[in-house]
Amino acid sequence: MAPFGVDLDYVAVAALFCIGLYMLVAKSNLLKKLLGLNVMETSVFAFIVTSGMVEGGDPPLLVAGAQPPFASPIPQAMVLTGIVVVVSVTAVALSLIVQIYAHYGTLEVDELKERP
Amino acid sequence: MKGWALALVVVVAATLAIGVQGLPTHDAPEAPIHDHVGARYVERGVEETGMRNLVGAVLLNYRGFDTMVEVVVIFTALAAVLALPRAGSVADAPEALPVSPVVLFVVRLLAPFIALFAIALLFRGHVSPGGGFQAGALFGALFVALGLVLGRRGAARLVPERARPWLQAAAPLTFAAVAALGWALTGSFLGFPQAPELHAVREAMALALEVAIAVGGGVILGSLFQTMEA
Repeated sequence: MAPFGVDLDYVAVAALFCIGLYMLVAKSNLLKKLLGLNVMETSVFAFIVTSGMVEGGDPPLLVAGAQPPFASPIPQAMVLTGIVVVVSVTAVALSLIVQIYAHYGTLEVDELKERP
Repeated sequence: MKGWALALVVVVAATLAIGVQGLPTHDAPEAPIHDHVGARYVERGVEETGMRNLVGAVLLNYRGFDTMVEVVVIFTALAAVLALPRAGSVADAPEALPVSPVVLFVVRLLAPFIALFAIALLFRGHVSPGGGFQAGALFGALFVALGLVLGRRGAARLVPERARPWLQAAAPLTFAAVAALGWALTGSFLGFPQAPELHAVREAMALALEVAIAVGGGVILGSLFQTMEA
């Protein structure tokens, strides 16, 4: 599908990326910033993993009955790696957020800046 | 603040819109990603790695170093979370939130099926979608769900305390062991033997890695959740 000469998938990915970026920059709540970061990362994964698709292709499982063309296995493996990294980043960030909330009682960046 | 953020997003969106113009048509078979090394993996992956699931072949064999460091990354994340000082002591936190009997029943009903699905993903991963990471994610979800209904003490009993550090470090340790074995057999670190008489060894090495990733990943995800909950 290419209504304006651009694939709809790319439009969706770019939109998701921008939404995530806006959340990350504009929101003052740390939890919402982290959610924005996750939305951005999801858009990158969607971009990479869809890039390996091929029209009418089978998944890259060379079992009986599968026939070429096959989707490229490399983006899928790389995204799997990326997801693990995102899980790690999210876990550390969340646990820092829990600490910040326990110490200061707020997650708003504006209020946190005024604390000693 | 909001205005600047909006301006930044507009600039980034414009940049992306220009960049997207130069990308290959989506789903096109002639896209560059299907040439070069990707084509070779599809063509010779089964012969070279012995795995029919090429995603698994790329993960464990062609890009094995990547995966090895990746399991170290998630292990390091757990270490970092555990190293942070705890906000409140475990003793004064409530033992468990009151659980509705419906939730309790549904989790108890579903738990064996989730476990079965995870095991199927793990051991059928070489011929169907699945593999160590997918099974690990499901095991992690299972630990989280059981932790919610069983409370902290019940969840802690799921993984024996003495075995817990070893299970959390299972994936990096197994990678080190398999890499050393590969070194001894082939002369290259994390090498998989190609000789036909060593095919059983090659499959055993891949299976050991998958199992370690699933168990280690699941335990780490569960531990992350329980640490943060405390």
